[in-house]
Amino acid sequence: MKYKKGRKRAAFGLMLTIVLTAMAGLKVGSFLPIVGDHNSPANSYVANYYIIHALEDTNSPNIVTAVLADYRGFDTLFETCVLFLAGLVVMTILPPQISPEQRKRLVKVDNHSFGGTVLDSSFRLVVPVIMIYGIYVLFHGEVSLGGGFQAGALLACAYLLDRIIPSFDNRLGVLWEEKAVVLAGIGTFFYAFTGMLPMFCGGKFLEFGKLPFGIFLREGTVQLHSAGILMVELGVTLCVMAIIISILEVVLERTDFEEWRKSE
Amino acid sequence: MNGFMEMANVALERIEFFLMDRGIYMLTFILFAVGIYGMVVCGNYMKKLMCMNVMQVSIIFFFLTFGQKEGGTLPVTIAQLFSAEDYINPLPHALMLTAIVVSLGITGVGLALLMKIKELYGTIEEENITGKGGGL
Repeated sequence: MKYKKGRKRAAFGLMLTIVLTAMAGLKVGSFLPIVGDHNSPANSYVANYYIIHALEDTNSPNIVTAVLADYRGFDTLFETCVLFLAGLVVMTILPPQISPEQRKRLVKVDNHSFGGTVLDSSFRLVVPVIMIYGIYVLFHGEVSLGGGFQAGALLACAYLLDRIIPSFDNRLGVLWEEKAVVLAGIGTFFYAFTGMLPMFCGGKFLEFGKLPFGIFLREGTVQLHSAGILMVELGVTLCVMAIIISILEVVLERTDFEEWRKSE
Repeated sequence: MNGFMEMANVALERIEFFLMDRGIYMLTFILFAVGIYGMVVCGNYMKKLMCMNVMQVSIIFFFLTFGQKEGGTLPVTIAQLFSAEDYINPLPHALMLTAIVVSLGITGVGLALLMKIKELYGTIEEENITGKGGGL
């Protein structure tokens, strides 16, 4: 009875919130620019510069990638650092409880089915396709739609499908969470290192036009920007993939461990 | 009676125009308010985390609506189109890509904290942890 009453009150509060916000939105919305307006402040100043000059400045047809990896490279660098820090914090809050030998046995022990025969077999087909797609998205980050963050998420998705479904015969292998965090650190460092490379050739930090690849590409051409963006995307992909894997690996290990302890 | 009908028609037309021009802002505000409401009201910490994610998604929607242009295409340069009018604004997209990544980090840390709370207290219900009635 009490439960039902609480439900009613919660529903009433939700309705009240929605109505009040809708009324506030009617008032506040009239100050905001019309959706799709070409002359609104957000669409006027620097955005138009990016759209017109992105191709000649950075040799990247995808303007979002040009903004993300080249014009605002600093922003993305620290974004990657934030993600790396999040992984470190997760590892600090939930340190591994069991020794590596025990963990290896744990992985061998649970070979129960994940979603029945049909789901398991179809996931087995899906995993390589997802991996290929992730790599495609990574290398198409500057040519067409794609980018480092998405590629990292896709690769991590493929790995986790492989990890969660225990009935696989030949697995990719397990990337333990400590190693995953180290991999994320390597990715973040790779990004920062790409930024530092031009400094050896008299450029500024993250100035891709002065990357020391004179052997492969002509000095001072926009192709150097493409190389820089690709390296940056590689670092971001490594970091995002490893952090997603480490977070979910930590969670998986805890739940696996609980089940295992109960069955012992 | 006729005058009333005309007034109603005018009001409906104005509402229609408002929804066409700025209605999407109202929807994002509602989503934001629902997220905040859930964070305040829910007694379960997992639900609080999910409500926070709803709130973040509403902010991402809000920024993306700024980048919209009528008749604009994807922000990938095509050989035939040169003017800035033809592409939607790439800046909100780039900014929100990073916001999504931050929200991923926040969710991960939140999940880790939840697992720690579950280990220490055996539950993630607020009323069982604090001893007071949590939520509504």
